[in-house]
Amino acid sequence: MALPQRKTDIGPPHYEQFLPPVIKKNYGKWKYHEILSPGIMVHVAESGDEIYTVRVASPRLLSTDTIREISDIADKYCNGYLRFTSRNNIEFLVSNKKNVELIKKELKEKGYTIGGIGSRVSNVVHTQGWVHCHSACTDASGLVKVLMDELYEYFTTKELPNKVRLAVACCVNMCGAVHCSDIAIVGVHRKTPTINHEMVVKLCEIPTTIASCPTRAISPDPAKKSVKINEDKCMYCGNCFTVCPPIDIHDPENDGVSIVVGGKVSSLRSDPKFSKLAIPFLYNNPPRWPEVVSAVKNILETYAKHAKKHERIGEWIERIGWERFFKLTGIEFTFQHLDDFTFARETFRTSAAFKW
Amino acid sequence: METEELKQKIYEIVEKSKVKKKLKEKDVIAAASEETGLDKDTVKKALREMIDVGKLMYSYSGGASSIEIPSEEYLKEKGLL
Amino acid sequence: MAKKYETPLLDELEKGPWPSFVKEFKKAAKRSEIASDGLGQLEKSYRTKRGYWKHGGIVGVLGYGGGVIGRYSSLPEEFPGVAHNHTVRINQPSGWFYTTKALREISDIWDRYGSGLTNFHGSTGDMILLGTRTENLEPIFAELSSIGWDLGGSGSAMRTPSCCVGPARCEWSNIDTLDITYSITQEFQDEMHRPAFPYKFKIKTAGCAVDCIASIARADLSIIGTWKGNIKIDQAEVKRYAKNGMDIQAEIVDMCPTECISYDKKEGLTINNEECNRCMHCIAKMTKALRPGDIKGATLLVGSKAPIVVGAMLSWVIVPFIELKPPYQELKDLTRKMIEWWDENGRARERIGEVIESKGMRPFLEYIGVPPMPQQVKAPRRDPFFFWAKTDLK
Repeated sequence: MALPQRKTDIGPPHYEQFLPPVIKKNYGKWKYHEILSPGIMVHVAESGDEIYTVRVASPRLLSTDTIREISDIADKYCNGYLRFTSRNNIEFLVSNKKNVELIKKELKEKGYTIGGIGSRVSNVVHTQGWVHCHSACTDASGLVKVLMDELYEYFTTKELPNKVRLAVACCVNMCGAVHCSDIAIVGVHRKTPTINHEMVVKLCEIPTTIASCPTRAISPDPAKKSVKINEDKCMYCGNCFTVCPPIDIHDPENDGVSIVVGGKVSSLRSDPKFSKLAIPFLYNNPPRWPEVVSAVKNILETYAKHAKKHERIGEWIERIGWERFFKLTGIEFTFQHLDDFTFARETFRTSAAFKW
Repeated sequence: METEELKQKIYEIVEKSKVKKKLKEKDVIAAASEETGLDKDTVKKALREMIDVGKLMYSYSGGASSIEIPSEEYLKEKGLL
Repeated sequence: MAKKYETPLLDELEKGPWPSFVKEFKKAAKRSEIASDGLGQLEKSYRTKRGYWKHGGIVGVLGYGGGVIGRYSSLPEEFPGVAHNHTVRINQPSGWFYTTKALREISDIWDRYGSGLTNFHGSTGDMILLGTRTENLEPIFAELSSIGWDLGGSGSAMRTPSCCVGPARCEWSNIDTLDITYSITQEFQDEMHRPAFPYKFKIKTAGCAVDCIASIARADLSIIGTWKGNIKIDQAEVKRYAKNGMDIQAEIVDMCPTECISYDKKEGLTINNEECNRCMHCIAKMTKALRPGDIKGATLLVGSKAPIVVGAMLSWVIVPFIELKPPYQELKDLTRKMIEWWDENGRARERIGEVIESKGMRPFLEYIGVPPMPQQVKAPRRDPFFFWAKTDLK
């Protein structure tokens, strides 16, 4: 079959052709919304028109079979319109109120999970992991699956003091807003990379490789026409691996994950915050990572028990103090919690007022 | 200077640098502009024409994009060889 | 296609109530060798606790330097189906709205040329087609572009801009996030497809400070909608919130960061708008009663990124308030100036925030023509070391 003529630089199709008529009509004229249940909300326009949103969980990694199946459902109840959220949920856009109960019924019958709206756990932002990434030290899709199996009720029914944004990044490159999430898991290395000198000579620019190291651990190795790494200075970030792949940072025995907490991106009440280290290391234990799952659940439930209404995890911790956070969660405080990198001086306590 | 001559210059710059350093588009344009005395926009236009027909190509390695001479494999795949 | 590999570890991830990516893999594996061998290799990763992918750059469509991520298995003999496993990034429509017709058309093309596996969506916002061979890239591009789709950005380039749902379905949006995103995406087509920058440049547009797109944390240019003027109050609705059990004193008044709200059962809610910093807490919690003021615009912030290399950054306020109306010329010109300065001063793999940090905020602001303002800082400097330019001395 002959291929059609390619076109370049046309950009994405205009969004307007994908908007349901009720949205086109009331574009920019919405008055308010109400959350009717953990996975259903209604937006009401100045005109009185309504649109119902039914939010459904997705593993982000979708087969075309599933895309066709959700398309069938959207054809049946949404005149063929749907959207995705920034957290990988599927949103069915229902213009006809009568269809809300019907689509809910069919989604449940087909095994879809409705929820994720309001003060609860929404879907997890995550990266490619072992499924597709060259620099992954863990699998993101697998971690999301086992976490959300365990926290399922916090998506579908249970309420929390505020929303809790979870994220998983399979290495410190952190594709996605992992560094500003309520609870996030990030893949980490713990050993200095090994160097394949022969390949370094062939593939890498030596000055660029040296410059890539944030801790100046890399220096020239003139004898080998390659580089060497000072083990005392290396913090295992893997940036040299990105710049020069023969410097291999993978180490299945010593790679694993850290858990960071307390980040947020909104400005509500307090400024956006970075996530900070809660647990420096847990081993990769696939397929179900039980230690990681129980650690996240412990943090989430300690927050649920102690935070005030509307407080995000980071706001709760700042109110009670990090020393109290470690006590309440029972998480051990280690040398790794003390910053010895870029922002160290901002993190040391400069007051004699603290809690036991 | 004729466009063909300029293109030849650009090609030589990329070829010369092949082993030593991967050149970014910016580096190629700066070098060719300096060597020929032509303005950067003219050089950029010629470079883009070369990329459009597979005489040169964009590549990605070491965490950054660069300009390279296409491999035989690439040209075959594009039906240009 | 017959089942090719035993996957006892991954089979464990078909259990449990949350939707399973392994099930998705298995559906695609019935038709595609890329998906079935991908599954086989993933099982091996679960066994050995390491990945087997190589990053490679010499793939793409003719003329473009972005939109395709080269990926190869490091075990091509064991898993020949994923010897090539390239990713195609398709520029998503603003706000991720689709018709089922469009989704079906894309699915049909993808089943013909690729693994049948996708991501809706990748972290930057593109629709991701996950896994194909080099020789299929040109046909995929021809098919997709002929029905109106184009590739997204990758490499040292403008990355695919993205935005929140905005005025399409949110009452808080102060700017037309969808239109702004469409318009700047069209403006920067060349910069997206032909990587000529020192490193990546991301633009994300949020309609308000709730920032559902995480613009402030992961965009080199964060555009965040805001307003000037008074928050609009519907006192009847305030009463209704109180009647329905909201503790307005505790949940709204006491949680206002600037203490600019007071509440009296009879008088209702009073806001000292002069002192309000527009954080969105009260509006988000009393969405029926409170609405943003009428003079709409955005704050422009610059520089956020993930931790590589010397630590994560949040975006810094550069332009406290800008009106954004089509064709957004001021925004586009300003963005070009920012990029020009960065391109002139940045080394390879340096993001704009890092260049501002090393060269100083002043040269950046002077270049783009923005004056210093207290809204740009949390506090002025605390050290006594500062530069005086000759022009400052007069």
